[in-house]
Amino acid sequence: MTITGEGAVRSRTAPAAVVATGVTKVYGRGDAAVHALRGVDVRFGTGAFTAIMGPSGSGKSTLMHCLAGLDSVTEGEVRIGDTDITRLGDKRLTLLRRERVGFIFQAFNLLPTLTAEQNIRLPLDIAGRQADQELFDMVIRTVGLGDRLKHRPSQLSGGQQQRVAVARALVGKPQVIFADEPTGNLDSRSGAEVLSFLRTSVRELGQTIVMVTHDPVAASYADRVVFLRDGLLVTELARPTPQNVLDTLLKLEG
Amino acid sequence: MIRATLAGLLAHRLRLLLTSLAIALGVGFIVGTFVLTDTLQAGLTHSIAASADKVDVAVLPPPGGGEKPALLSAGDLAAVRRAPGVAEAEGLVRGGAALLGKDGKAIGDVATTGVSVIGGRLNRTQVTSGAAPSAADQVVIDEDTARTRGFAIGDTARVLDATGAPHAFRVVGLFDVGVDQQLAYTGAVGFTAETARSMTGEKGFVEIDVAAAGVTPERLGGAVTAALAGRGARVLTGQELAQELAKSNGADINVLTVALLMFGLVAMLVAALVIYNTFTILVAQRTREMALLRCIGATRRQVFGSVLLESAVVGVLSSALGLLAGLGLGTAAFAALRAFGQNFPTTAEVTLTPRTTVLALAVGLVVTVGAALLPARTATRVAPVAALRVQTGEHTFRTGVLRVVFAAVFLLAGAGVTVAGVLAKPGETALYAVMGGGALSFLAVLILGPVIVRPLARFAGWLPAKLAGVPGRLALDNSHRNPGRSATTTVALTIGVTLMTLIAVITATTRATYTARLDEQFPIDYLIAPQFASMSEAGATLPRSLATTLRSRPELTSIVEIRSTDARVTAAGRSGAATGGTPQSGGGRRTAEVGAFSGPYQPVLTAGTTQGFTAGSALVAADLAGRLGTGQGGSITITTPEAGAVRLKVLGVFDPDTVPLPEITVPEQALDAYFGPLADVRLYVNAKDGVAADASRRAVEAAAQPYPTAKVRSAVEVRGQFDEALDLVLLIVGGLLGLAILISLLGIANTLSLSVYERTRESALLRALGLTRPQLRRMLSVEAMILGLIGAIVGVVLGIAYGYAAARTLMDEVLFRVPVGQVALFVVLSAAAGVLAAVLPARRAARTSIVGSLAAD
Ligand SMILES: Nc1ncnc2c1ncn2[C@@H]1O[C@H](COP(=O)(O)OP(=O)(O)O)[C@@H](O)[C@H]1O
Ligand SMILES: [Mg+2]
Repeated sequence: MTITGEGAVRSRTAPAAVVATGVTKVYGRGDAAVHALRGVDVRFGTGAFTAIMGPSGSGKSTLMHCLAGLDSVTEGEVRIGDTDITRLGDKRLTLLRRERVGFIFQAFNLLPTLTAEQNIRLPLDIAGRQADQELFDMVIRTVGLGDRLKHRPSQLSGGQQQRVAVARALVGKPQVIFADEPTGNLDSRSGAEVLSFLRTSVRELGQTIVMVTHDPVAASYADRVVFLRDGLLVTELARPTPQNVLDTLLKLEG
Repeated sequence: MIRATLAGLLAHRLRLLLTSLAIALGVGFIVGTFVLTDTLQAGLTHSIAASADKVDVAVLPPPGGGEKPALLSAGDLAAVRRAPGVAEAEGLVRGGAALLGKDGKAIGDVATTGVSVIGGRLNRTQVTSGAAPSAADQVVIDEDTARTRGFAIGDTARVLDATGAPHAFRVVGLFDVGVDQQLAYTGAVGFTAETARSMTGEKGFVEIDVAAAGVTPERLGGAVTAALAGRGARVLTGQELAQELAKSNGADINVLTVALLMFGLVAMLVAALVIYNTFTILVAQRTREMALLRCIGATRRQVFGSVLLESAVVGVLSSALGLLAGLGLGTAAFAALRAFGQNFPTTAEVTLTPRTTVLALAVGLVVTVGAALLPARTATRVAPVAALRVQTGEHTFRTGVLRVVFAAVFLLAGAGVTVAGVLAKPGETALYAVMGGGALSFLAVLILGPVIVRPLARFAGWLPAKLAGVPGRLALDNSHRNPGRSATTTVALTIGVTLMTLIAVITATTRATYTARLDEQFPIDYLIAPQFASMSEAGATLPRSLATTLRSRPELTSIVEIRSTDARVTAAGRSGAATGGTPQSGGGRRTAEVGAFSGPYQPVLTAGTTQGFTAGSALVAADLAGRLGTGQGGSITITTPEAGAVRLKVLGVFDPDTVPLPEITVPEQALDAYFGPLADVRLYVNAKDGVAADASRRAVEAAAQPYPTAKVRSAVEVRGQFDEALDLVLLIVGGLLGLAILISLLGIANTLSLSVYERTRESALLRALGLTRPQLRRMLSVEAMILGLIGAIVGVVLGIAYGYAAARTLMDEVLFRVPVGQVALFVVLSAAAGVLAAVLPARRAARTSIVGSLAAD
């Protein structure tokens, strides 16, 4: 798999999967108030792989949590598809996550009591949906977990666990997958594997992925990188390479 | 180190409180027991002292071994009155004097007790309203009887004298029987001394009370002893009398204390399990914290100490809580007893003795620290490097060979001892064997718990998991992911459920067995028996005219009269077919009940026949025949007043449990020839077919109306009373065991909230993946429900098995019954209680924010 320009082009023209408008997030109040997001406007195209980057504490995780409906925004609007999720109550929000959003976290992605396969099917089970068996088989083949399906997380390596998490996010065919530092705990080889799967899923399945990362190499797998600093979107980069991402970062920090 | 421990405790106040509550409830129960019984004892002592204070010296009859207690004679009284230093001496009369109720029938199963009420200085009767009797036609009635039977001052009361003739009296006052158990049981009527003697027919006195004329009680006692020399009477000072009374009454209170403490012990055992489990979980959760402490230089001993210190703080806190709870409990129980009309001295004040306080603190502390010892030892095994490991792995439980071997040994030993107990002859030894076997089996279950919890969870959780969808399935997995923890949590509940089931099974079995025996014995509708003439006599009779009246009623049929009297009996010869048993020492000669029956009755014999049942032959109860060393075909000799020594051939032997005949039954005419005409001792009556129950009842009562002491009982009634008594036992025991169950529920709540805390990130992940708040709550409820079910299932199985075993040791030929409804109720309630225990932990889990929990490390 080589990096082609196709995805990047498509991301600009395709309809948006997630749109954030004027999103602010304030933790605490008064003197102790922390302005984690100060009015972020951003759109993530359908079928695109976007990375969110920025220095530590710039609000990357906060933005992702707000986009995914895990946390409430202080001001502004977030749309997933045509739904304004800032207006939804906990119940509707939960149902929305269940039906339309996939997650990959940095660590602790899997339920230790369930086997790999059960973990992969868990969101579908919770939603009471049947897995698309063809898709399921294909995903399993792609992430190379065929012989590990009956294993429990404690019997899997970190890279394998993360691949299970990727598979889980993919088989539900969500409208968008949010990944928060998915390779943060992995060695570079396992990390590269996981990132390839993510990119493949965008290319071949048309999946939409928003990934938070602080690693320029990880970001270079994406079609587009948006940069945050002090809770504001400052710049973005199409067709990223490790080098130009690093350069941009250094500029931001400097 | 100490500072770190205390800071940790303060940070988890809620958990601290929950843990303390388990011990506090147990301690509270024990304290409550002591507060109650100490208060009762104090009240008792107080009122006895007040009563005995009035006498300087009391003379009691010699302690007799006979059927009827010995009495003091008029001669004794005269001798006492002549003794130097005696100002006054009065004899107390006591005997049966049946008070008739407003319906004209004697009240109670035993005639009320007639007592003499003495005037002047020596009066110990507490007349609470009205006046003491001062004339021959006046009577006072005890308050309880007056209240329940509707007597008031000014009423006319009719009382039977010793010959059964009624006399009318005017009620002039009511009195309090104080701590006198006999008077409280039978009810009492008080007369002037002279009337008391004539009404009860008693020639002697049960006690002579003496007042001193200016000498010390000790001197007076000496003088009275001298005056009564050689008569065997016991002379006590007032103080000694009080002590003696307090001791005999205190025995009852001791029984109560011991019985209640048994339940306290069960509660403490359950509490100890809860504490053990809580500390085990805490230590596991704090592995990294402990490892860090070890890294920065804490010694093993310091880690051990910190866990023990924590448990000690919990222990002290819970003991203090328990002390307060116990004080409240004891006070409430006392108030409740008093409200139920128990005649307790109203002067009693709630007593918290230093002994109770010390005991409560000691028990609470020792149990808590003791239960934390093992977890504390585990904590010392944490290696410093554990601090560096990122995540502590899942608890993988492997079944150790040693564990299985131990469990097998206990199980086999338990089963063996139990089976031996069941097969042995019913009796105390057998019961102890079964109890011991039960304890061993329980230990086996305790050891095997972590092994069997997984299959049990699958079994118990099958349906809930099916019904509750994904949350249910997750709950099922969670319920046994840490088998050791789940096992200990559920075993605490198992104890309560086992005992509950055991009692329910024994009650149901007793009920079935007894009812079947009643039906088998004699298919009778009514039994008519005379009221006992007094506590010490059983020889009351019914005139034969009653049977004649009954036979004339068209509604009734097959009237059987039983007559009997006591006679001396010896075995006259050895039989070829002895029914077993060698004659005991002196067993060849004894007093037995000799009698006859008159009416249509065909006794069922275990050996022999009623063919040729004529003068000179007898039917003998199997147990008596055994003791005499004779049997069917043998001979016995009875001593009779009319015919001298009569030799009887044993024609047949019957089982006295099912055949209600006198021990030695001879033909009717023969009995008249041996003893002269005897009155009936009981009558069996049946209603004619097709006669309504209330019509036959009216007929029987009408016939019995002229005989005030003739008590009519229907089979239905007897069964009803028995049922009520059993239900009451079940209710009381159930209530007392409720505490142990409550404590085990606290344990479930505690385990669950600790597990929820442990699984914070897991819950957050589930919520992120789309589990709704209600689903998350449901997941925890189902988990708790499965735990409750496991505890209940094991408890029910053990309870039924040991209920059967225990019933076998209590009775011959039991009809084993499992009260399916009740047992099912226990299971359902346990499941429901589990859900209840999960309410708070589940709410907390559902409320926590997803983002915050995901970030938590
Ligand atoms: N729960 C919270 N309460 C208060 N401040 C928070 C909370 N979560 C994040 N912050 C603050 O918000 C800012 C952005 O945090 P975050 O989104 O985690 O940054 P990043 O992921 O880019 O490192 C930081 O200053 C952080 O300290
Ligand atoms: Mg972050």
